[in-house]
Amino acid sequence: MKYRIRHRTRYEYQDVVSQCYSMTHLLPRNTFYQRCNRASISINPLPATGNDRTDYFGNHTYHFAVQYPHRMLEVVAESEVEILAQRQSLALDFGATCAEVRTLLYRLEPEENLRAREFLLDSPKISRSDALADYARDSFADDRPFFSCVSELTARIYSEFSFDPRSTEVSTPLEEVLKLRAGVCQDFAHLAIGCLRSLGYPARYVSGYLETVPPPGQKKLEGADASHAWFSAYSPTEGWADFDPTNNLMALEQHITTAWGRDYSDVTPLKGSVLGGGAGHELDVAVDVERIEA
Amino acid sequence: MGAQDPEAVPAPGKAAPAAFHEAYEAGGGVREHWQYLLDSLKELGPDELSLRRHALERILRDDGATYNDYSAGLTARAWGLDPIPFLLPSDEWSVVESGVRERAELMDMLLRDLYGPRNLLKHGIIPPELVLSNDAFLRECQGLALPGEQQLIQYATDIVRTPRGELRVMSDRAQTPSGTGYALENRMAMSRVFPSLFRDSHVHRLSLYFNNLRLKLNELNPNGDVARVAVLTPGAYNETYFEHVFLANYLGYPLVQGRDLTVRDGYVWLKTLDGLSRIDVILRRVDDSYCDPVELYAQSQLGVPGLLETVRSGNVAVVNPLGSGVLENRGLARYLPAAAQYFLGRELRLKSAQTWWCGDDADLDYTLRNLDTLIVKTTSRGPDSQIVDGAALDAAGREALAEKIRRNPLRYIAQERLTPSLSPVWDSGAGPDLPLVLRSFAVAGESSYVVMPGGLTRVGTKPGAFEISNRLGSLSKDTWILASEPEKRTEVQPAEDTVAPGTGWAGMQLPSRVVDNLFWVGRYTERSEASLRLLRTVLSCLKGEHSIDPASRPLLLRAVTHLTGTYPGFLGKNADPSAPMPELHSVVLDAKRVGSITWSLHALLRAVDQVKDFMSADTQRILNDLRDEMALLPDLLRRDYSSAPEEALDRLVSILLALAGLSQESMVRGQGWHFLDMGRRIERSVLTISLLRSLLVPRVQGEAESLLLETVLISAEALMTYRRRYQRNVNIDDALDLLLLEPANPRSLMFQLERLDEHLRSLPDSPDGPRLPREQRLRLEAASQLALADLAELARTGEGEYLRGKLDQLLARIQRLVTEIAGALTDKYFEHTGGHQPLGLSGRREESQ
Repeated sequence: MKYRIRHRTRYEYQDVVSQCYSMTHLLPRNTFYQRCNRASISINPLPATGNDRTDYFGNHTYHFAVQYPHRMLEVVAESEVEILAQRQSLALDFGATCAEVRTLLYRLEPEENLRAREFLLDSPKISRSDALADYARDSFADDRPFFSCVSELTARIYSEFSFDPRSTEVSTPLEEVLKLRAGVCQDFAHLAIGCLRSLGYPARYVSGYLETVPPPGQKKLEGADASHAWFSAYSPTEGWADFDPTNNLMALEQHITTAWGRDYSDVTPLKGSVLGGGAGHELDVAVDVERIEA
Repeated sequence: MGAQDPEAVPAPGKAAPAAFHEAYEAGGGVREHWQYLLDSLKELGPDELSLRRHALERILRDDGATYNDYSAGLTARAWGLDPIPFLLPSDEWSVVESGVRERAELMDMLLRDLYGPRNLLKHGIIPPELVLSNDAFLRECQGLALPGEQQLIQYATDIVRTPRGELRVMSDRAQTPSGTGYALENRMAMSRVFPSLFRDSHVHRLSLYFNNLRLKLNELNPNGDVARVAVLTPGAYNETYFEHVFLANYLGYPLVQGRDLTVRDGYVWLKTLDGLSRIDVILRRVDDSYCDPVELYAQSQLGVPGLLETVRSGNVAVVNPLGSGVLENRGLARYLPAAAQYFLGRELRLKSAQTWWCGDDADLDYTLRNLDTLIVKTTSRGPDSQIVDGAALDAAGREALAEKIRRNPLRYIAQERLTPSLSPVWDSGAGPDLPLVLRSFAVAGESSYVVMPGGLTRVGTKPGAFEISNRLGSLSKDTWILASEPEKRTEVQPAEDTVAPGTGWAGMQLPSRVVDNLFWVGRYTERSEASLRLLRTVLSCLKGEHSIDPASRPLLLRAVTHLTGTYPGFLGKNADPSAPMPELHSVVLDAKRVGSITWSLHALLRAVDQVKDFMSADTQRILNDLRDEMALLPDLLRRDYSSAPEEALDRLVSILLALAGLSQESMVRGQGWHFLDMGRRIERSVLTISLLRSLLVPRVQGEAESLLLETVLISAEALMTYRRRYQRNVNIDDALDLLLLEPANPRSLMFQLERLDEHLRSLPDSPDGPRLPREQRLRLEAASQLALADLAELARTGEGEYLRGKLDQLLARIQRLVTEIAGALTDKYFEHTGGHQPLGLSGRREESQ
């Protein structure tokens, strides 16, 4: 499966910005099951400097600085990504049990264990808690295959939480999401990760895109797609597997990974610092995910 | 992993062993290396020693040595120095020195590994959770590298001596180690107060350390040529700001704040009046996460946006490297022995206090069972840092602590309680001997680390104190490493060329923030002085010492309100000119009232704080006097008002004059001085006009007028000049001539405008080309209006006219023009952008379905 993705972000400031320093996580990384064949980013006004880099987690980042006074900043990231055949459904009822996952994790081999243990700890936006553990506990049992438990948790979040963009904000804490039983994809990913970590299982945050298919007979609207988020859980014997609690799916051929980290704060699509700009700005984001090859 | 050697810790309930005494042997005899010092002090006698102690205090105070304490409401605490130094003989020192050097080497290897291959974690030497759960581990700093082998440039460690005489490290500092400047200040003060004792004791010199630091910083220059180094400070409210100023001056580097720097075209630049000047190396005193709001703490106003990416590109070196705070994780001490085996294949010579990390099950168990004897600390030294003495808690307190640890074991460590050695202390007499900790400093050198022969010694506030820190008000000591024979001068001398031309304030490339503050130092000095003069005159009129027509009294009081801008004041509806004292007191004392004298003086002190490193060394003495006098003011004023309150104001006026004199006599005539003096000239123009408009524009008849004129002249410090010059009774025409036009009167308006002209012409070329820049045009217009004025005509009033309307119009016009000059200067030369603000997705997030 091949996709072409266009992600445009546009800021309009109330006042002139004299300098802007920014860092983006907008270009898809390579993964075990995905290859980014082409990636480019264009910025208007033209930046004075721009550097590509691979971050701590192996994500593709791009840093730029605009030194020209401007009221509007536009960042367009375009890429072509190929989802490889390995990306296939896991047989959930086999593999390590929950108890095995918790024990095997502390072996020094495979080396991925050490990396995975990092995703067991509290992170800026996700703290482990009794409340999260209590919510998730019913879905996990020591002798059950781990991934089937994760799948059950995913399904529960999907059915017990309602998708409602008005219910939460970026700053809404996880406890609040748990109480409200509502949120958006980012909240659900954070929630599932918090649940897993609170029970002692490693989980990381994945940001990316989901191919959307218009209703039959309708043409897909330009810019109608959006960036998406889900989570990935780790088993020392099977490795990482991606689950999408917003859609009750495993992330497969229609999920395109941009970046992963401990939570949203590690992979913010665009952040930075501006000098000037006044009290506020208008923000407009448009995403297109286009399948170019089956 | 089991608990380490349980024998090293005193069992619960067992009495703490007697502390090691630095000066006396167990039998009571004096240790050999203390003999000479103790004999000499005895010879001096208690009275002389007290005198010397006062001399030390005076020197420290004159140098402005303080330790600022946030918790105490921004008070600057005087730096305390004990006249009895801490002594170490050469042979003992060499043990400390090699131990510190080895630890620095190990810390450097740790730093390189943790932001590099992380073999320590992969091979299970350090549990990954200890490092990865700590906020000080900055993933953004992965792979950063300074030129050269060593990554850790400055290192400090706090060492105590146990009852058995062994040395133990209580903590490691590897981010922005503080204390070298205080150590140097202590040394300078001691060698002045005890010159012969110091000379005869053959004390090792400290300059070795600083020369090496200079060399190293120069070597780290990624851009070739001679390094332009700047010292980055969080600002005047930092606890150790004194040290930042002191070190920057000593090393000859400009002291800058984050907003003085900017990233352009991938390099870091200092913003100066002459444009941008590249900075190659930053010696920082700003914590890791505050250094760059783009990638680190987004709300920080102390850093430089884009700094981290510039470091990554290899275009600027930051010392210590960003992320080095990871080494201050208090749990690392638990695993240093293993790391030393791993990297060096041997035990550390200088061991840490025994440490347990609660993230390890066995350690957690040990900690919870021995809370009553252990010191519990957070692994993080950040804002949520905690240190708890288990022994000081009751059962309930211990249970609460245990619960906190159990809930988040990764965050806590326990440390054995050490009993530091004792040292004699001279605290206004022979007090008890107190526990002591030595902070030792190392700097990266050619192949290994150079350890400062000396260091910063601090003593606990009471016997048995387990924590010794400046925050708790500890006294410090100079640290004397005694050479067996006079030291040969073999130390590295910095080559002539290690200081880049044009850096340091000598190069006069001032950041616009500094210039801005100097300008305001000038303005506030003048504003304070003018207000004080008027108040003094008013008080003496009210007391009847200086006669004035009773009808003029309301005019005079209203002039106070106009001049200070403390509206509504005496212009208010409820003003009572017959009982003016409460309002006058408020105008002098109310620090919260904008324009009050105290308010202006505070503003002056704040502005001076920002440019301390630029002011002459004598300035500090004057500022100390100013602070002292301000502290006395409320009492003096509130006393019975027959007791001459204006005398209190007199002393303040004298101090301000001394400050002004100093800037005239001691400041290099560079941009800084020009802006300081322009501030003064602009303020004096505006205030003189304000005084004339409130007192001479209203028409007063006959005798009353000449009395009022005298008052104006006194207030403007011009009555003597007037009498000498005109030798007749005061009249309005002569007074206006003297106060407005007379070019030889340093208080006349024309004099101010002429000085302004000289200053404006000296400013860096403006892009306006051949045309006069705006501020010069404004000045020319003001001066011409004034020069063309027919004063006699302006002063004349017709029958029934109560105001000199034309005079008022002229003065108002000039006042507006001068104010506009200030505005034009501000627009052109000073930073007036607000701080940086985070560019975020402002509430935007991934919310697809």
